[in-house]
Order: sequence, then structure tokens, then C-alpha cells
Amino acid sequence: MYRHITVVILSMICTYYSSAQNVVRVIFRNVWGNKPLLLDSSVYATKDTSNVAITNLKYYVSGITLLHNSHLVYSEPNSVHLIDARMPSSSTVLLHLPKDVFYNKISFNLGIDSTTNVSGAMGGDLDPTKGMYWTWQSGYINFKLEGKSNACPTRNNEFHYHLGGYSHPFSSIQPIVLSTASTDRIVIEADVAAFINQYDLGTQNSVMIPSLTAVSMSRQAAAIFSVRK
Amino acid sequence: MKKYFILSFMVWLILVALRADNAALFRTPAHWPKPTYNFDKNPLSKEKILLGRALFYDPVLSADSTISCTSCHLQYTAFTHVDHTLSHGINGRIGTRNAPALTNMAWGKLFMWDGAINHLDMQPLAPISHPDEMGSSIDTVLFRLRRSSIYPELFYQAFADSTITGEHFLKTISQFMLTIVSANAKYDQVMRKEKGIVFTAQEANGYQLFRTHCAACHKEPLFTTDDFRNNGLAVDTTLNDYGRMKITKNPKDSLCFKVPSLRNVEFSYPYMHDGRFATLQQVINHYTTGIQLSGTLSPLLSKPIMLSSNEKVDLVAFLLTLTDKEFLFNRAYSFPKEIFMPAPKE
Repeated sequence: MYRHITVVILSMICTYYSSAQNVVRVIFRNVWGNKPLLLDSSVYATKDTSNVAITNLKYYVSGITLLHNSHLVYSEPNSVHLIDARMPSSSTVLLHLPKDVFYNKISFNLGIDSTTNVSGAMGGDLDPTKGMYWTWQSGYINFKLEGKSNACPTRNNEFHYHLGGYSHPFSSIQPIVLSTASTDRIVIEADVAAFINQYDLGTQNSVMIPSLTAVSMSRQAAAIFSVRK
Repeated sequence: MKKYFILSFMVWLILVALRADNAALFRTPAHWPKPTYNFDKNPLSKEKILLGRALFYDPVLSADSTISCTSCHLQYTAFTHVDHTLSHGINGRIGTRNAPALTNMAWGKLFMWDGAINHLDMQPLAPISHPDEMGSSIDTVLFRLRRSSIYPELFYQAFADSTITGEHFLKTISQFMLTIVSANAKYDQVMRKEKGIVFTAQEANGYQLFRTHCAACHKEPLFTTDDFRNNGLAVDTTLNDYGRMKITKNPKDSLCFKVPSLRNVEFSYPYMHDGRFATLQQVINHYTTGIQLSGTLSPLLSKPIMLSSNEKVDLVAFLLTLTDKEFLFNRAYSFPKEIFMPAPKE
């Protein structure tokens, strides 16, 4: 008997909340210029006409909030998402907003904050099995981009960018604020070409530790995000 | 309203029960500081501690299943590897640092000689992945555990979930390490004024000398400040290890290494980050006559420590009172026979 009552109450609560909520889909779309980014097989040309293939692109998006002008109108609870170009399901984040919330900006961090970095083992997208945690020194990799290019005089022509670091002066988390309409679907593009074209792959092809270089490259990585109008 | 009250009361009860459970499995010794580890995020349970202990003793963690945590951290020698100056790994590979003694890790802030690891939970990732230690990866380890005949069941008992995630794996090893507490040496018994236990005249004199010359860095009751200092060791040019600077990239941290605890120091030889000293006498001689001056030398060592030979002997006599036999032979820390060699069922 009690069980039935519980079910009824629970379903009432669910109906109430679903009617009072508005779901906003935030979609992270990785692109090369104006083309969708395809891993492994597609060969892209850089600005200096070298060839580039991307084999791995993963990054953390955390602390998603929505703003109206400069007022915070929504902040996602426990907001940490690992976007993995190899896992299309990871690219969509659902925000459950109260009804009638209007916003004109979305903000988020590229990376994991320092508190989370020093809080021990965590699960979900923060599980250290996700390939985004350093082992020789504690800390999350915020942004990981790997690939091959004929411009790289390295083993198998590979380049590796593992950008991270949480403590001064190597804190690499980057806040990003983008203008958007109050729609229920926000498409955020990350243009990998805009990142790669900043660097000479012949000389700068391996960044794997927290450093000033990693901080400056993280700033550049944050600059490749834009809302698709 | 009443409903909310009952509900919050129940939540409170569960929290209290969890804390009580934790308190029964981990006790902060009287007059000790509060542990650094946040037990609320990883409440102890008997099942999790046992599972962590099994993992600590299981060579499945290494690439070729030859090396376990205990290979370099043996209980009977204060959870370190005696007679080896540098740590040993798979295929006879040799690392670049002396395996540290493991004790009172619940009070640790940063781990490793250079503080590379910022949380106890994350510590096992380093030796598991290092090519000169276990040469494996957490993914490989979890893959093996999931296929093993014992672990899915043990994880189920511990977490009501047999999936075996990285988080659960690391948290169980932490649970076992947290229980490794040494607080019952003769020193502790004297401090607690236990009946009939007093320092000998020699130990008492050694204790005074210790407080004058050593205790600023090897702070009681943990016998470490748990920070990083340059204690005046000459650079070993075969290793060129500059310690903490590798992590912070700050020249001020050049040649700074973690101050190790002196608990059970009688058994944790050889000493220093590279195991260069085999005996306590050599260590004391270093502090009296061996200090190498450099820009980052701890200011506490800039004036030479003067000790007569008798005083050196007394100091060693005191250091031996930090030996905790109960800790060294505690069955709760030893190889978990009940898991790896269960008694045949009737």
C-alpha cells in the first residue's frame, strides 16, 4: 500500500518538475574551419600548407552558467563534462532550467578548477581512467589534442598537446564567456584549425607538463570556442 | 512539516552512523593534530579496508605481475625496502629514489620526496604507471581486476557495485593506507605517562638533544613537518636530482626534499631520498660535519650542529624509542591470507 502511495507521490513530483522546467541542449561541435572535425582519416591543411590529421581531442568543460547581461540566471550543479571527439554522446550537455529564464550569455571553464584538482579520487567524467589525469604528478589534463603532421620531425610525425596545471603560476583553467540567444539549443563550436594554425608544428609539437607554455596555449585553446549563430 | 523533520532526522542518523563506523576503524591518537585526509569523502568500512589491503599485496598491479606495493613497502621494515638505496621495479629496473617508509599517511599533505602527488587517493597511480616501478596503467589494472575470480565480488561487498571504477579502486587503497598508523612506540608510551614506562637516562638526554637540534623539522608527534627542505646533501651526479624544483619549477625549491617522519627509523634504512646513508650514525655525522652550503639550504642548518660522540650515541638511543613493534607486527596490516588463501570450505 505504502509503496503505491510513494510511486504516486514520486510521479506527481516528477510531473511537476518536468512541467516547470525547460531543457536547454548545449552541443559542443568540433570543427576544422567550417568543416566538421573527423578523427584519424581526414587530412587537413594548415595555413603553411602542411598536412594534419587529428587522432585525439578531449577537453573538460566545467562550471556552466547562463547570464542575462551580467546577472547570473542559472548555474549547473556539479558541472563537469568531458567532451571527447571520439564519443559523439559526450558532446551534448542538457541543462535543466526553471521555466521562464532568459539569458544572453553562456559561460563555462575550459578545464578543472584547483579545488577539484586537490580533492582526491572522483568518479564519472573525473574518474582517473578517462585518460585525462597525470600519473607522475597529480592533476587533470584540461585539454588534450593529439595528431600527426608531416611538419613534425618526431616519431611517427606525432604531436601531443596535454594542457593542464592547477597551481600558481601554471594554472591553466580558462574562463570562457560567449553571447547567445535564449534558445533551447546552443551550439558551441571549437575550431581546431584556429589552434593549430597558431603554432609551428616543426618546433612546438610536444607539451605534456604544467608550464608557462601550457598556460599560454590554454589561453589559445579557450579562444577557439564560439557560439554558432 | 513533520515529514521533513522525520526525513532530516533519518538523514542525520545515517550520517552519524557512518561517522561512528569511521571512528571505530580510525582513531586519532590523543594530543595528535586532526588528520589532513577528508574521511567524509571516503568513509571507512571494514570491507573497503580489506579490499585495499588485498590490492596492496597483489602483484596484479604490475605489468608482468611480479611487483606489488609491498615489494618496496614491507611492513616489518616500516613499509619501506631495506638494503636497497633506490627502488626496484619490474624486469630488474631501478628507479631514481629510495622507497619511502609508509606511516601515518592520514596526516600527509603532499606525497613523494618531491610532493608531486597532491592527495593520498592519487598516490598509487604514480608507481603503477612508472616504467621503472610497476610499468602498467590503471586501465590495464582495472581490466585485470574485472576479469579476476575474486575482485568483482570484493568490490561488490565494499561498494554494492561490482563495476570496479578507477575512483573505487583508488579509494580502497587509500582506506588501507589510512589505517597504517604508528602511535605506540616507547616514545608514545612515555609521553602518555603509561605506568612503569620511562626513558633511560641516555634516552632522556637524547630526547633533549633531539628537541634542540632536530625537532624543528622532525616535529612531534608525527616527527615531520611534512614540508620540503634542503638538508645540505651534496648532489649525487649520477642522479642529478633537484627534488621539489622539478614540480614547482621554482629555483627556491632546488634540492628540497620532503622531511620524512622518523617513526620506526631504526628499521627504515637506508636513509635520505637516494638512500645514501646506511646507518643512523652516518645520518647524524652528516648533520654535524657533512652539510653542504648552498643558496637553498634550510636556515636551520646554516650553523653547524655540534655533538660530542657521547651525545651522538644518546641521540640514537632516543631515535630507537620511536620503534613501534605493535605497528611493525600488526596482523591487520599484513598479507590478507583470508583473501588469497581462503580455508577450504567444509
